[in-house]
Amino acid sequence: MADVYNWQLGRTIPYPYPEAHPQKQFAAVFNINRCIGCQTCTGACKATWTFSRGQEYMWWNNVESKPYGGYPQHWDIKILEMLDAAQQKTGKPAQWDTTQTDAKKPYGTYNGLTIFEANDPTQQALGYIPNDAEWRAPNFYEDTSTAYKGDNLGISTEGASLPEHQTWFFYLQRLCNHCTYPGCLAACPRKAVYKRPEDGIVLIDQSRCRGYKKCVEACPYKKSMFRGTTRTSEKCVACYPRVEGNDPLSEGVPMETRCMAVCPGKIRMNGLVDIAQDGSWVESPQHPLYHLVKVEKIALPLYPQLGTEPNIYYIPPRWAPRAYLHQMFGPGVDQALERYAAPSRETLAVLQLFRASQKMVFRYEIQEGPLVHEMQIKGKPWQMYNDTVIGFDSKGREIARLPVVEPIHERPKERLNSI
Amino acid sequence: MLKQKILILCALLTLAALLLWFKIPVASSQGPTLIAARVTDALPSQDLNSALWQQATALEIPLSAQTVTRPMLLETNVKAVTARALYNDQQLAVLVEWADATDNSQMVRIQDFRDAVALQFPIVEGLPFVCMGQQGVNVNIWHWKADWQQDLVAWQDMNSVYPNMNVDSYPFAEGQNPAPSDYTDANYVPAYELGNLMATPHKSSVEDLTAGGFGTLTSQPLDAQNVQGHGEWNNNQWRVIFTRNLTSAETEDINFAEGKMYSLAFAAWDGANNERNGQKSTSEWISLQIGKPAPVTKVTTADTITATPPSPQEIAIPLGLIVVPLVLVILVRTLMGKDEEPSE
Repeated sequence: MADVYNWQLGRTIPYPYPEAHPQKQFAAVFNINRCIGCQTCTGACKATWTFSRGQEYMWWNNVESKPYGGYPQHWDIKILEMLDAAQQKTGKPAQWDTTQTDAKKPYGTYNGLTIFEANDPTQQALGYIPNDAEWRAPNFYEDTSTAYKGDNLGISTEGASLPEHQTWFFYLQRLCNHCTYPGCLAACPRKAVYKRPEDGIVLIDQSRCRGYKKCVEACPYKKSMFRGTTRTSEKCVACYPRVEGNDPLSEGVPMETRCMAVCPGKIRMNGLVDIAQDGSWVESPQHPLYHLVKVEKIALPLYPQLGTEPNIYYIPPRWAPRAYLHQMFGPGVDQALERYAAPSRETLAVLQLFRASQKMVFRYEIQEGPLVHEMQIKGKPWQMYNDTVIGFDSKGREIARLPVVEPIHERPKERLNSI
Repeated sequence: MLKQKILILCALLTLAALLLWFKIPVASSQGPTLIAARVTDALPSQDLNSALWQQATALEIPLSAQTVTRPMLLETNVKAVTARALYNDQQLAVLVEWADATDNSQMVRIQDFRDAVALQFPIVEGLPFVCMGQQGVNVNIWHWKADWQQDLVAWQDMNSVYPNMNVDSYPFAEGQNPAPSDYTDANYVPAYELGNLMATPHKSSVEDLTAGGFGTLTSQPLDAQNVQGHGEWNNNQWRVIFTRNLTSAETEDINFAEGKMYSLAFAAWDGANNERNGQKSTSEWISLQIGKPAPVTKVTTADTITATPPSPQEIAIPLGLIVVPLVLVILVRTLMGKDEEPSE
């Protein structure tokens, strides 16, 4: 066991292998607030990778309705319950110490047990294998909200209002987190799971896998899946041919994955961030992911307390109960929501870059525009400027140029009714 | 007296450290001996009830849970196996029997684990570490799998466990229920495409493997797979026969000769208890005697090691074995005081 530094937890955790970080890390930001639950991402992934025999139940990308939905069913509640049972044995509560935060520990320090600490000593990590029935209904509880607390007729006299809706649900978009300290990689007794040094993508070597399902058991996000026809486990490959720039459309530059690129709600932004030798993100203020995750901190890791340092970041839904969001995204939730509700001039421009190109944006520039709107948000003045954001690919070529105010095109009178 | 004991301990530790350093397998006391009985007939490679098995002496070998490396299960289900061995001019056959309340020969569903049994042989003289050998000292493993046995009857597929499943079509594959081999574009069955023996049609229910330490288990290439197997589950019991030619041209395979003694270890897995990989029951090394011990004769040319001058390492090892403990003994004695303690 080695001690490795997990910046999301602000402390070191035990891990079977010593720290060794990739040069770049595959990462993404998902804006939950914008998701319409259309499953286009899910279908795009399915149509690209998992349409074959033995993969029928596999959804490397899925969108589940929280709080009840889950694929496999109740995956998060189950692992949290197991974690909690181990925590209870210590006699101490799992807590975040947020009194001290800095660049090395932006969310403070988590003192609870991770899956690498709560495990039985006979195993590398805490986990379980969901059975086939649990994987069978990937969208069970779709659009199911929490109980309605209205009058007898089911009519609310007050309606719903922020900051927290009484009756709520939200969509959670999930794929492999290509974790910094993957549970799957830790658990494989034959080192068939590896993390690529060039982009941090986590893959299962299909020639070495013997179908032990230790990765299925140890991945807390349940994104390793067993294929009954080849008797090996498979997982999200982060569309690596696209990330490598080998897709015919990509012109040799890294391209977003299929699930990211098809998103009609424009909720996803996918990219590669530079990683320093100590595992921290290399300071690059004009990288959109760096801006959202590290500068503004409006995008947060999913269940950071599990300990694997996941690399998909979420802008939390504004209307969900804070306690639920704290459990899911850690203590950064309040600040993230505050900043998202009244975004800075720069953040508002960066948010326009979501889904502006299939190619990954490595750098942005902002051209300042005029003040177009002034208002009060939570009693504080807020201004909106029609700035223009320009995105550049890995070779520094412009791939996107968008104003903050979406241009309106009025159809001329003579074509009012034409298609 | 205490000093003497410390001295002896130091000397032993030094010796052990040196053996480890030079990767010389540490010979430990051999367990019981399984004696392979010679028969003139063809070996009953598929016949569990053949009278020939009565000619072999059954040996019960106790098994216990693997607890050296993670992952492990502290409570494994197979507590012992019973083995018998027969050989003729060409082949060796080993019959292994053990109690198992359930037949787990499905590996299609995510929660399915197979019943299995394995034999392990060192491929060099001496005994490597009993768990999968050690770096530089490989072992040859014959791994029988209940699902492979079933596959030989009919390849287990999705419809073996989900008979009512229906899918309109599978792109890049032929037929309604395509096996990995029915794919016209094998990119969509990557484990099959890469020749992973888990995914490809089996020649036998036994996989022939090589290992040299934890995590190194590797299937031998398909054309080097030369162990045959046959297993049946009945009345809460598995009975499995392994058969292989006495000699093999493969460098990673063990070779057997009449009259000689070999080492052998067993492992077994109960799929019903989610046992797989290191989560298994294992035995200690036992001996396998092929027929009667050969009479001691003069060394024949065949047994003679090719005459080459000893390498520096070959000289250094015995030299080191003598000199280093000696130096250490002297050193410790000097440090502990020159005066000799009167013996009791």
